[in-house]
Amino acid sequence: MLEKVFSGGKTEQKVIENIKRHIKVLCTASDCFKRALEDRDKDRVLCIPDLEREGDTIRREIISNIYEGAFLPFLRPNICRFVEIVDEAFDVLEDAANEFEFINLEVDKDLEEDCTKIADINMKMCDMLLIAFEALFRKEDLKEKNLAIRIYEKKVDEIKLDLIKKLRRREIKDFWQGKTLSDFISYLTRISDIIEDASDYLYIMNVSLR
Amino acid sequence: MKIEEIMTKKIESVEADAPVYNAIEKMVDKRLRSLLVKPKDEKDVYGVVTVRDIVFKVLGKNLNPGKTSVEVIASKPVICVNKDMEIEHVISLMNKFNIARVFIHEGKEIIGVVSLLDLMAATLIERAKGGRIA
Repeated sequence: MLEKVFSGGKTEQKVIENIKRHIKVLCTASDCFKRALEDRDKDRVLCIPDLEREGDTIRREIISNIYEGAFLPFLRPNICRFVEIVDEAFDVLEDAANEFEFINLEVDKDLEEDCTKIADINMKMCDMLLIAFEALFRKEDLKEKNLAIRIYEKKVDEIKLDLIKKLRRREIKDFWQGKTLSDFISYLTRISDIIEDASDYLYIMNVSLR
Repeated sequence: MKIEEIMTKKIESVEADAPVYNAIEKMVDKRLRSLLVKPKDEKDVYGVVTVRDIVFKVLGKNLNPGKTSVEVIASKPVICVNKDMEIEHVISLMNKFNIARVFIHEGKEIIGVVSLLDLMAATLIERAKGGRIA
């Protein structure tokens, strides 16, 4: 069934290649963000808006190709939704990058370590999403890939709980300082939720195509 | 994959002569199942106290956790492995000694801890990536 559905015409192949490219750009953006946090280099995040725009262009191309007739009609909404979810991850990553420019993590070593750890897990989740997407075309069962993503997400959840506890103990002297830090952590920890959603969607596609 | 890559760096510890109640509080607050027990002096070694120790050796025996010291129920010495050890070897070691966690050392310093749950998660992730480590 998968073979019949996926290995179709050129348009289908183009869509598949573009979705892979879309996820790869997300991996690059996550890696860029992680390195920026590790090196405390705010200039590094400047590449993220560019990558987000590149992601947008790829997404538009994918959606256009799908509505031009790629894939069977029952599959189109699922593929479009998956692409939209990946795009949402780009948006949130860009929001986190924007906030990162205005925060000073150095004041709290613990916060810095936790945030870097989350950024690292986010990057690994993106890599795993790409592995899962590629596995879909090899007619593999995505159960273990989906589980791996859920394990990563749980790790982020645990760190997030600790982070929130630490944040509540911090004295905030300036409204914008507090808001920026709070928003930054919300965006940073939301990325993993979105990737998990994307992975769940992929798994649903995998199951529905059996 | 080396054990260092999956270890938890945040280790919570408790003084050997502290009451078990302190250990309970720390475990509840920080959602932990074990604590490293610090050596009493230079000749002493690190130990570990687990939820299991507290339940079976103190609460289950109706002892007062406020009056029992951690060193009475702690297991000593802790089983430690080098940070460069491969995960497969750590799994065999834990199986051999029937233990749920190992501490990771670098020189004389304990730098992390790995539990069975960490090993399960890491192994599943490796399998999902396509590499099979166990």
